[in-house]
Amino acid sequence: MGSQRSELLPAAGVAQDHRTALARFLAAESGAAKVEFSGLAPLRGGAIQENWAVDACFLGGLLAGDQRLVLRTGAPTGVAASLSRNEEFAVLKAAFAAGVTVPEPLFACEDPAIFGKAFFVMRRVDGTAAAHRITRDPVLDPSLSAIAERLGQELARIHKIRPPWHDLAFLPSYEQVGPAQQIEGFRAYLDRHPVPRPVLEWGIRWLETHIPPSVEPVLCHHDYRTGNYMLDGAKLTGILDWEFAGWGDPHEDIGWFCSKGWRFARLDREAGGIADRAPFYRGYERESGRRVDRERVFFWEVLASVRWAIIALQQSDRHMIGGERNLDLALTGRRTTECELEVLMLLDPAGAPADA
Amino acid sequence: MRDLPTGPSLLALARDVLLKDLLPRLPPEAHLDARLVANSMAIAEREAILGAGPANQLLRELEMMYKEAEGEPEVLNRFARDLRAGAFESSTPRDRAVRAILWRLTIFKLRQANPRFLAANGFN
Repeated sequence: MGSQRSELLPAAGVAQDHRTALARFLAAESGAAKVEFSGLAPLRGGAIQENWAVDACFLGGLLAGDQRLVLRTGAPTGVAASLSRNEEFAVLKAAFAAGVTVPEPLFACEDPAIFGKAFFVMRRVDGTAAAHRITRDPVLDPSLSAIAERLGQELARIHKIRPPWHDLAFLPSYEQVGPAQQIEGFRAYLDRHPVPRPVLEWGIRWLETHIPPSVEPVLCHHDYRTGNYMLDGAKLTGILDWEFAGWGDPHEDIGWFCSKGWRFARLDREAGGIADRAPFYRGYERESGRRVDRERVFFWEVLASVRWAIIALQQSDRHMIGGERNLDLALTGRRTTECELEVLMLLDPAGAPADA
Repeated sequence: MRDLPTGPSLLALARDVLLKDLLPRLPPEAHLDARLVANSMAIAEREAILGAGPANQLLRELEMMYKEAEGEPEVLNRFARDLRAGAFESSTPRDRAVRAILWRLTIFKLRQANPRFLAANGFN
């Protein structure tokens, strides 16, 4: 689940006809007389989507001059739960309009003749999203509390987008993607999975019997976490990767951000591996005018560990079943047990038996 | 009877060569993949050392709980189905015994897959 974040890969070219078609598309969309590329190369990091760094000179039009852009398209194996590029573009536009710090979305294209598959283009923002670096860098330490507060504020801004929202009419209703439906989806997946997962079954049973009362849904990012925002030094430059966005309980994003699976090098810092929960919650509460309900967050945090476990199995399936020759995906399957340990730690505070 | 050095010790040596000798000579964009290879070798090495003993012990405990010898996939499938249905929740001692099995299963798997994560969570 990556985006603008990572380093340029060498080589891996683009067919000349795609280059030409893309240049024409960008010129037509921006009103430029001509677009010339000085760089067009894939960015590493996207496990599901594929991103290209585009350096281009626009002759005239809305983007006249040199521009640093990102082209985002689907990687070879799509994941069913994710939005199409056109839908992700619409979500990104809504977030941008709501004042969320995101790379400005520019153009979307569904015609596969241009680049081989549907894509959209956004501005490229500076910085890094590398979670291990962010959670380890001692230089960032003094700024991390303020960054967590800012991320709480940004999340509250996302949550100000509420249904009905005419440009987001394609998103499934909350009734279709609420906790009961997610639980059903987890179980349906486990029924197809060849190896039984007793801990997940036990955790899902707890979820089923502790579903909180429903709330007014909001736009949830659904992958709001360290690793999916860009920092340029200590400055937040963009929230990335909107492919899982949908209507949901606002506490769903808070629980996901704080869950142990996304704390990377700093398990002790409960807000995304960067800070205590307090500054993150403070930023959220100030911007939203609503109190964070700790019990609801706990429910969603348990669900986050189960969801991450299922995603880890699905990523590994892309190798095991889909035949993708990708060691990173294969190893991700082994992370499922880490999530299971967290489910046990959350739900059985008495802890492991002495002989474990 | 297998020849020496053992499989796990060959894996350990190969991993050491990969990380200390080869990785510094690889271009930076290949470092991540090299580390993933090293990680895979470490998992295979630990699995070979730890063997299936603890997992078999857990299976025997499950079979004792069900008072039937069913074999691995059957007994684990049955256990998972029962957990889904909340079958152990009405009896506190059973619930406690089941939780103990879940903990042991998880800790055993992590000793193989990621002992560092286990330690970071306060487990030896």
